[in-house]
Amino acid sequence: MKLFKDLYAYRELLKNNVKKDVRGKYKGSFLGVLWTFMNPLLMTLVYAIVFPHLMKSATYEHYTTFLIIGILAWNWFGQCISQGTYSVLGNGGIIKKVYFPREILPISVVTSGLINYLITLVIIAIFLICSGIGFNICMVWLPLIIVTQYFLTLGIIFITSALNVYARDLEYFVSFFTQMLFYATPILYSIEIFGESKIASIIRLNPMTAIINSYRDVLYWGNIPHVKSLLVVLGFSLLLCYIGLLIFRKLSKGFAEEV
Amino acid sequence: MNTKDIAIKVENVTKSFKLFYDKPSTLKERLIFWNKKKAEEHTVLENVSLDIKKGETVALIGINGSGKSTLLKLMTKIIYPTKGKITTNGKLTSLLELGAGFHPDFTGRENIYFNAAIFGLTKQEIDKRLNTIIEFSELGEFIDSPVRTYSSGMYMRLAFSVAINVDAEILLIDEILGVGDQHFQEKCFAKLEELRDSDKTIVIVSHSLDSLKKLCKRAIWICDGKVKLDGKVEEVFKKYLDTFK
Repeated sequence: MKLFKDLYAYRELLKNNVKKDVRGKYKGSFLGVLWTFMNPLLMTLVYAIVFPHLMKSATYEHYTTFLIIGILAWNWFGQCISQGTYSVLGNGGIIKKVYFPREILPISVVTSGLINYLITLVIIAIFLICSGIGFNICMVWLPLIIVTQYFLTLGIIFITSALNVYARDLEYFVSFFTQMLFYATPILYSIEIFGESKIASIIRLNPMTAIINSYRDVLYWGNIPHVKSLLVVLGFSLLLCYIGLLIFRKLSKGFAEEV
Repeated sequence: MNTKDIAIKVENVTKSFKLFYDKPSTLKERLIFWNKKKAEEHTVLENVSLDIKKGETVALIGINGSGKSTLLKLMTKIIYPTKGKITTNGKLTSLLELGAGFHPDFTGRENIYFNAAIFGLTKQEIDKRLNTIIEFSELGEFIDSPVRTYSSGMYMRLAFSVAINVDAEILLIDEILGVGDQHFQEKCFAKLEELRDSDKTIVIVSHSLDSLKKLCKRAIWICDGKVKLDGKVEEVFKKYLDTFK
């Protein structure tokens, strides 16, 4: 409860951090905020060219649209994990100088990621229109999926950002792990290609699988998402957030001395 | 004494730091050297207790390394005591290090918002104080230039102006009476006097005893992590200065 009171009192700081992240990130770069679009687009382009050659079974209609839905969501996740893990350490200067609720640091990383993602939804809309898939009523599920991803990411970086202060190589491990997880999440392919094999059941354990599948269900296939697995992931994410917060709280008392 | 009248209560606070000769910061080092007890415990504050009443202006004095700044940091909750408890009552601002959260690429005006937000102010509250802050800083038209173009004096003036205008009930100040030129210093001093005469609680760490004497009625002398003397400014200063003779 105290967290909400604190966050409310420091809402301006949260807002500023997010603004700085979204706007300041590309300050001084030629294309500015356009990079928010360019990066995932270029990634999609590469995969769209290369991947069909590697996996002959992965032939989907409108493969680029199929790809971009997964890649944009993953982009939000992956970037937040790496930025978030570094968020406490990277703000060591301020942490040593002023008191403020430290939880704001990871929260603002996920929130600015969210805003970036919402901006990139425009790209998805363009792809949906151009490919002729169009919009459908199942998109009303989108907010629930986004919220689930938000809390999942937040829960993870509460833990990693706090631990990273004490063992700094965590960030290298995390960046390797997220990269590996990218391939263990049905982004370039859909999980059906593994049928009911062992690999499929392992991939299903990854909470991002349910999230990416849900995005694709509502945006690409025009289906109602698998609500049960989505709710399981949401429940898990909220629990993770709670546990993460407890860990973060406990460790945050030593931040100023350790960073 | 009523607890409501107390702004800062320090109860039996001990703070010790671990001193590592070779601090392990990666996982590998932590795992390999887990049994090497290379850390040495260094106690900076030992069993310190004191009450600071609302509206008081208190000077903290002592030689370098005596633990004054640590005590201030504990009060702001940047670091936490190893033992004991510190409770503060009221909105608190620390002027320990100025310009926290300044982003060099943004203008002075934008940075006022960033900086004040770190102190926990909302947008409306900052809007209300914006003119006062800009006026106080005397930056004029430079307020709309990026902070990286500022001279160090201008930078400090802006930072100080934000911090002093936050309107906190408790102000913790560490060695910043030397900000800016003569003119600005006098202005800061006048502002501090004004704050002292209102109902603010102020704790100042400084080595310029003359200024402290003008500002404070009460002084606390910290020596080797303990409160050596606590009382009227003149008496404490006299005894403190005697030790140097």
